[in-house]
Amino acid sequence: MPSPSLTVNGRTVPLDGVPAHTTALDWLRESGLVGAKEGCAEGECGACSVLVARPGTTTPTRWTALNACLVPVLALDGQEVVTAEGLGTPDDLHPVQHEMAVRGGSQCGYCTPGFVCSMAAEFYRPDRAPGEPTPEHGANGFDLHALSGNLCRCTGYRPIRDAAYALAAPDADDALAGRQTRPAPAATPTDVPGFARPADLPAALALLAEHPDAVVVAGSTDHGVEVNLRGLRARQVVAIDRLPELHGVSVTDEVVEIGAAVTLSEVAARLDGAVPLLDLLLPQFASVLIRNGATLGGNLGTGSPIGDAAPVLLALDASLVLVSAAGEREVALADYFTGYRRSVRTAGELIRAVRIPQPQPGLVGFTKIAKRRFDDISSVAVAVGVDVVDGEVTRATIGLGGVAATPIRARATEEALVGARWPDVAAAADVLAGEGTPLDDHRASAAYRRAMLRQSLLKIAAAEVPA
Amino acid sequence: MTTTERAVGSDVRRIDGPDKVRGRVPYAYEHELGAQSVFVAIVQSPVARGRVTSIDASAAEAVPGVLAVLTHENAPRLGDVAEEILVLQSPVVQYAGEPVAVVVAETSEVARDAVGRVRVDYESADPDVVLSVDRDDLYPPEQLMAGFETDSVIGDVDAALAEAPVTVDVVYETPNQHNNPIEMHATVARWDGDVLRMWDANQGPHNLVPVITEAFGITEDQLHITSPYVGGAFGSKAYTHVHQLLAGMAAKVTGRTVKLELTRQQMFSLVGHRTPTIQRLRLGARPDGTLTAISHEVVEHTSQNAEFAEQTATATRLMYSAPARRTTHRLAKLDVPAPTIMRAPGEAPGMYALESAMDELAAELGMDPVELRLRNEPDRDPERDVPWSTRNLVACLTQGAERFGWAGRDHRPGVREDGRWLVGTGVAAATYPTRRRPSQARIEAVAGKPYVVSIDASDIGTGAWTTLTQIAADALGVPMDQVRLRIGDSRLPQASGAGGSTGITSWGPAIMAAAQELHDRFGGQVPADGVTVTGSSGPGDEAEQLSSHAFGAHFAEVRVDRDTGEVRVPRMTGVFAVGRVINTVTARSQLLGGMTMGLSMALHEESVLDERRGHYANHDLAEYHIAANADVGEVDIAWVDEVDDAHNPLGAKGIGEIGIVGSAAAIGNAYWHATGRRVRDLPITPDKWFR
Ligand SMILES: Cc1cc2nc3c(=O)[nH]c(=O)nc-3n(C[C@H](O)[C@H](O)[C@H](O)COP(=O)(O)OP(=O)(O)OC[C@H]3O[C@@H](n4cnc5c(N)ncnc54)[C@H](O)[C@@H]3O)c2cc1C
Ligand code: FES
Ligand code: FES
Repeated sequence: MPSPSLTVNGRTVPLDGVPAHTTALDWLRESGLVGAKEGCAEGECGACSVLVARPGTTTPTRWTALNACLVPVLALDGQEVVTAEGLGTPDDLHPVQHEMAVRGGSQCGYCTPGFVCSMAAEFYRPDRAPGEPTPEHGANGFDLHALSGNLCRCTGYRPIRDAAYALAAPDADDALAGRQTRPAPAATPTDVPGFARPADLPAALALLAEHPDAVVVAGSTDHGVEVNLRGLRARQVVAIDRLPELHGVSVTDEVVEIGAAVTLSEVAARLDGAVPLLDLLLPQFASVLIRNGATLGGNLGTGSPIGDAAPVLLALDASLVLVSAAGEREVALADYFTGYRRSVRTAGELIRAVRIPQPQPGLVGFTKIAKRRFDDISSVAVAVGVDVVDGEVTRATIGLGGVAATPIRARATEEALVGARWPDVAAAADVLAGEGTPLDDHRASAAYRRAMLRQSLLKIAAAEVPA
Repeated sequence: MTTTERAVGSDVRRIDGPDKVRGRVPYAYEHELGAQSVFVAIVQSPVARGRVTSIDASAAEAVPGVLAVLTHENAPRLGDVAEEILVLQSPVVQYAGEPVAVVVAETSEVARDAVGRVRVDYESADPDVVLSVDRDDLYPPEQLMAGFETDSVIGDVDAALAEAPVTVDVVYETPNQHNNPIEMHATVARWDGDVLRMWDANQGPHNLVPVITEAFGITEDQLHITSPYVGGAFGSKAYTHVHQLLAGMAAKVTGRTVKLELTRQQMFSLVGHRTPTIQRLRLGARPDGTLTAISHEVVEHTSQNAEFAEQTATATRLMYSAPARRTTHRLAKLDVPAPTIMRAPGEAPGMYALESAMDELAAELGMDPVELRLRNEPDRDPERDVPWSTRNLVACLTQGAERFGWAGRDHRPGVREDGRWLVGTGVAAATYPTRRRPSQARIEAVAGKPYVVSIDASDIGTGAWTTLTQIAADALGVPMDQVRLRIGDSRLPQASGAGGSTGITSWGPAIMAAAQELHDRFGGQVPADGVTVTGSSGPGDEAEQLSSHAFGAHFAEVRVDRDTGEVRVPRMTGVFAVGRVINTVTARSQLLGGMTMGLSMALHEESVLDERRGHYANHDLAEYHIAANADVGEVDIAWVDEVDDAHNPLGAKGIGEIGIVGSAAAIGNAYWHATGRRVRDLPITPDKWFR
């Protein structure tokens, strides 16, 4: 296997001897490319945003902005990265840089290279096209959510928005736009001490069988935080984010199957509306930067009680396909979680895919209560699926996050709903307020969480989305 | 000079913009990239009050690559400052997070690993961190920050309140807040012989000189601090903190170039915060809205090791007329890290409370809150009894009302709905003192070459690189490209730090004085062999004879989700009277950034002290929220025509802080107007709708 390397701003640099825990950000900065900044080391501020050439859904390559502070640099072996330094030249600023500079989008400048990269990714979005402006879309088609993972303490954001909305289409001879028309770098198998990217699923499972203490990494949006903030130093890291077997997305009359390593941004694009409840969730999940890395496998892999995917998938009665060297098994998601950050998944077992049975509920709704509108984790998440026949609820599935040690089904509420006249759900909403055992913490009081449970159902009933 | 109008007052773009958007300007930590640097990691005390009983560093010292482990037992002894900044000089622990040891190692990874191997035992007592008005140990500080008197009393306030036909008596609270510039605090330090060389993120190298020279027992000539680009500061980078001293020590002990960057988490205990406040406001008025009494009593906290007394009620001393008036400040000395200045210290929390109380009074009177303020406009400073240099609050209020569409507002609360949203509007006034501080500048002129203008000013994102170049160009009567500005270096002529919105008023006139000197001596003709001139500026008689302040008015629309309590601010208008505006682009940025930080203060910012352990529970950006892009709606900003020549020759006033002052009150008042409920403790989070 060739020794690992990374192409940064057009120059290929070896990654020899780099430890598995070294993040792309630390590596870049230690290499003298200090344009990408660290503001938090946990995916919150976006100062570390860089562009990575990823396979696209509508073009062979898509420049994708990622939090460099979370990704192990070895996970980028064989890949192409562009930082703010690689965009534009002193005499000829990149269009994004030009607009940011002339519209006052940079004050202290510390957040700026990250904003520039996030903005450039949206600048190059192949299907960005002029249209009717909305509060969160420019007339140039720029989707402001592309900047949702970038914090600025100086500018008040409006000059940055002005810059974003002033961007034209990339020039015909724009090199990075041109790069999107050619295939993205393939995932190179990597095998260096402490870090491995196996070529396929059997190789990955063999590795996991061999190293029971190996740590699996997909998008690394959770793993990176463990490394940076809690000092996790795994003896062996196994990267699974590009395993072809974990990348399928298929929709049939019986089942929707989503590969565990498909990023959330891709999930949205590739499902193309096939799972309306996911379309309600995904825009509220972290930020675009995080969604460009985060996967469903990673979200369920942590077993976190506040992960947002679980309530939604519970409401869809989904199951997980678990695979190990011993073979595959399918486990209902409702039976998957066993306790705080614990599940039935054994060491050496991977989540290969998520299965959502068809038909999905006729009406779905999702409410995420968080302290900040975007870029925040849930205090409470409620996902609801119901079938209504002649104004009467015939089936109800409700998934809850943030109200117990694990994500749970709201069974009592489901029972209360069946037979009820829709959307007259006040009685069921009272039952919902009593589900789980919400806690008091500095994010929200237990009383508030309970109040929100009740309100969620009322709100969802009032604004149901036909599936 | 005839050319003065050319650059000043224009919309010249930031000269540092192109490099910043390319990621090419060097911040503190990015200096000395080629050096064989060593790295520092800090062991922080989990105990808020107690003492270190033993430290075993042997396991850490044994890690290959560890060069030194410094503790109170072996760290170099520092000068007097060590009493105020706790820096490994004693086993006593006075706040949670206090450094009790540092590891210096060849790589940051080794340092971090070794930190986990330092064994520290503590003797500890329960921390005392809860601020309340009932504490029996509240005390009046000798004076407040910036030299303000602790209390001010005019007339018989209690009698006036007792007699007033209409009164409000309310308590407003603001929480602990953290500055959180996006660039984390960082220092690179090295001893070149007996000279301490530092590259540091701060608000003016000269600000740090007294403490660092005192600590290490060196002269000013033996300290050289460089800080040309700073990634935001908002007060936390104004003064010397423990990490700069630790870096200096580590460099001394190892003889190497030391790099120390605090983590975001460490910034919550090591570089200061804004004190929480509990403020009782009592206002008395006649039925026509004329104020007869104003009382503003403040309780706030300070730390065991250093006293910091925020000047929370000082704006109340000048905002409105009233014959009877009182402001007081009382402190509780708690087991917390030392508070510090944070954007508009004093005015930000104090005006939040005063302007909220004024809104309550307007409601009590059944009066337009804009009208209430207009009716109590003082024609002289009501406490100092001196004239204003300029006071244009009335213009701000009336122009703001016009721009916002205030006319015809239905003043009743809780009566407007738009679907599930309850809708309201609010207003609040703003003020911030105008001051100048001693500063010097130097101009080197060589025929045929650009002028080199040197001053130890600091650009923490404010735009000083650009505005000072504009001022110099106009003063010299040349285009901006004929000026090379040098700032952010302690070897440059001494200037005040970037704080208190004093930069432009202090540095600008110093540069102008140097240019004047050049003009007076050589009539604008640079001698063939070149020349160097200096100029200085500082507070003059205006400080005594006039009352000088910037003013402003905020208007906000708030929407509250009836079902979830979510609060949105779709639009804000701010109109300011800030003297001459040097650069319309950077001025707008400063005001917009300030207003957004006010929005952030209104809706999000709160550092939660864990009462049992005494540390800040939400010590990172995931849990300490600041406003994000989606929080900010449409923001309309304008300024009134104003030139304050009586205060300084530029006619300018500071602009960096006034934007945050009052904006939280406007939002809180709009929340009440939307919902009919007052939230009197910031931030206004959704859960407060349900209590
Ligand atoms: C700033 C920020 C905001 C966030 N906001 C949200 C939010 O709004 N909602 C939310 O739910 N989460 C949020 N998260 C958490 C995180 O992004 C998600 O949990 C994400 O889905 C994790 O996916 P990943 O691929 O990055 O996981 P990784 O970090 O790669 O892995 C996480 C864990 O899952 C395991 N794992 C990964 N893939 C598999 C697999 N196929 N099979 C078995 N185990 C596997 C790993 O071993 C690891 O233990 C946020 C995180 C950050 C940093
Ligand atoms: S450093 Fe803040 S998101 Fe990466
Ligand atoms: S410009 Fe300073 S943080 Fe954005």
